[in-house]
Amino acid sequence: MVDVIVFAVAGLIVLAGGLGVVLNSNPVRSALSLVASFFGVAVLFVLQEAHFLALVQIVVYAGAIVVLFLFVIMLLGVDEVEDLSIEPLSGQRIGGLLAGAALLVFLLGGLFLSGGDEGAVAVTGTESVTQPIDETQPNIDNLATDLFGRNVLAFEATALLLTIATVGAVVLVRNAGAEDLSVDEPGRADH
Amino acid sequence: MTLAFLAQQTIERIPFDSPTIDWHAFAPEAILLAWTCLVVVVDMVGLERARRFMPGLTGVGFLLATIPVLTLWNDGATRSLFEGAYVVDRYALALKGLFLISGYVVVLLSTQYMADGDYYDSEYYILLASSVLGMTVMASARDLITIFVALELLSIPAYLLAAWRKRDLKSNEAGLKYMLMGIFASAIMLYGMSLLYGVAGDTRLSVIAEKLTSEGTKPLLTLAALFTIIGFAFKVSAVPFHTWAPDTYEGAPTPLTAFLAVASKAAGFVAMVTIITTAFPGQADVVEPFMWVLSALTMSIGNLIAMRQTNIVRMLAYSGVAQAGYIMAPLAVYSQTGQNGVSAASAIVNYLIIYSAMNLGAFAVVIAAARKTRSGEISSFGGMLNYAPGLTTAMTVFLFSLAGIPPMGGWLAKWQVFSVLLQSESTWGTTLALVAAVNTVLAAFYYLNVAKQMWFMPAPDGDTSRVRVPPSLVAALAITVIATLLSGVTGLVPDITDFGSIALGR
Repeated sequence: MVDVIVFAVAGLIVLAGGLGVVLNSNPVRSALSLVASFFGVAVLFVLQEAHFLALVQIVVYAGAIVVLFLFVIMLLGVDEVEDLSIEPLSGQRIGGLLAGAALLVFLLGGLFLSGGDEGAVAVTGTESVTQPIDETQPNIDNLATDLFGRNVLAFEATALLLTIATVGAVVLVRNAGAEDLSVDEPGRADH
Repeated sequence: MTLAFLAQQTIERIPFDSPTIDWHAFAPEAILLAWTCLVVVVDMVGLERARRFMPGLTGVGFLLATIPVLTLWNDGATRSLFEGAYVVDRYALALKGLFLISGYVVVLLSTQYMADGDYYDSEYYILLASSVLGMTVMASARDLITIFVALELLSIPAYLLAAWRKRDLKSNEAGLKYMLMGIFASAIMLYGMSLLYGVAGDTRLSVIAEKLTSEGTKPLLTLAALFTIIGFAFKVSAVPFHTWAPDTYEGAPTPLTAFLAVASKAAGFVAMVTIITTAFPGQADVVEPFMWVLSALTMSIGNLIAMRQTNIVRMLAYSGVAQAGYIMAPLAVYSQTGQNGVSAASAIVNYLIIYSAMNLGAFAVVIAAARKTRSGEISSFGGMLNYAPGLTTAMTVFLFSLAGIPPMGGWLAKWQVFSVLLQSESTWGTTLALVAAVNTVLAAFYYLNVAKQMWFMPAPDGDTSRVRVPPSLVAALAITVIATLLSGVTGLVPDITDFGSIALGR
């Protein structure tokens, strides 16, 4: 019973946070709503006994990533209310609303109709089929075994992926038109 | 308590068997990765002096990585790594070969283009190699996590490269549109994948297949399957998820457009085929009608819009959309044809190989011609027979092949797709074959229009000075012409029909 209540409260926080991200016209408030949503997700992780993930959720997502978002928002100076009265494409907003509502009905319908009798995929607030892999061991051990065992390839590929993304981002944003290009990179300006 | 003592305690407590890695099976990826690192180091040490060796060096890397693909193919055994999450069989090997050779041809296409313009070309080749690495991983991935990471590894360099002509607004638009759409698609796909994991409790496709079969058809599984497929439908630019393709293709550097239109699209198909045939053998009643609609829409709308294009790159973009429709057609009947979808998968792989050869070739001609005409308009190809007979002949081969006229390779590819559709002996299969047949006729119209321009129309402005085709483009044209003709005339395509047991999880 407690599980269900905690689930409901955390779920509400997640939903409210998500709505806040979309509905706030001020990007700073949107980012802060995102933090609330992340905290809700962290509680849901705790409910599934994924304590390590809950911690990571707060430290990495709520802590690091959203702070980065806020930095970007404030550095770019877009922390002002945008004029949302202009509709670039006529009928776009109505269309978007309808499509969103249709998707919501579709998803909720799918979830509720799938309940069945065994309840494995129903919305009950009980633990999912993916329980802790091994009850006798802490989550973090299991995660480590899994990450460096079966998923080591994906793990290493992710490392490469992050490097590539950094290299590409640096190349794309560096100001090649500037006169002093040849200072830090001799020869490039010749071409 | 010292830190060392703590570490000691932990090591004793966790039982950990490091995974055994079959290095022969993993050799293509390992070589490509090591070589990419080498290219990075050479770039770092050599700076400007190393710049002109970059294309050659990257090309050699692709060719070196092809060697273990060949030895593994000769060996013929199906190798399974990481508890079935990574499988090297003939299906995977044929595709790895395709990706590596396409990568090599794209390097050949890029060599002169990149050297002429003001680009960061060392980074270009490094990103290209990483993207191809992602594709080779994708060919073997039989696990949701590996598939997702491979997809991102092949997409993110492509997003960056699409915007590589930094000072051109069109290129910026190309990169941004491609990235936003790609991320949107990834998000939808991840949602589908998380639902799949939630139901099955495992990320391996073979295990998911077992669990899904016992679960039967529930609305939730339908959602999961459709969302996962929609993610890949974006990648292969299937209608109605194709809107990014023409703008991205037009704005990106042309050699990269060739890469996106061929290798990137092929990788999306690989993931789609692997997931559908491996994880959804029991969901055919949901997936097949969906693929039927997707395929029919994609080929019809792609062809109708392609007819109205006046820019050759946009025309090839929409023709690529239409071709994607033919390629995915066998998936509409995958459960009703031989060996649980193996014949469908085989038809798709062969189509992808032939499509890559002819489309890369067509782009090679466009790049070569643009060096003289400086234009992407179809009318600028007028009278090319007089001043560039070689290019004209090559382009005609590719156009005939794309239209599916024997004896070019495109004919064999289409024939295989039609035979799979008709083998199913179902109304669905037959009607889709009819739709495809009508579309093939429609497509011939705009492909042959370009050929007509080249053979019979006068050159615009009467300018008949010769086109200088750099040696790298000649090599690319030679490879693609030979592949297109050889596959069509001799019917020589890799036989991957032993793709089965492990890959399908039974």
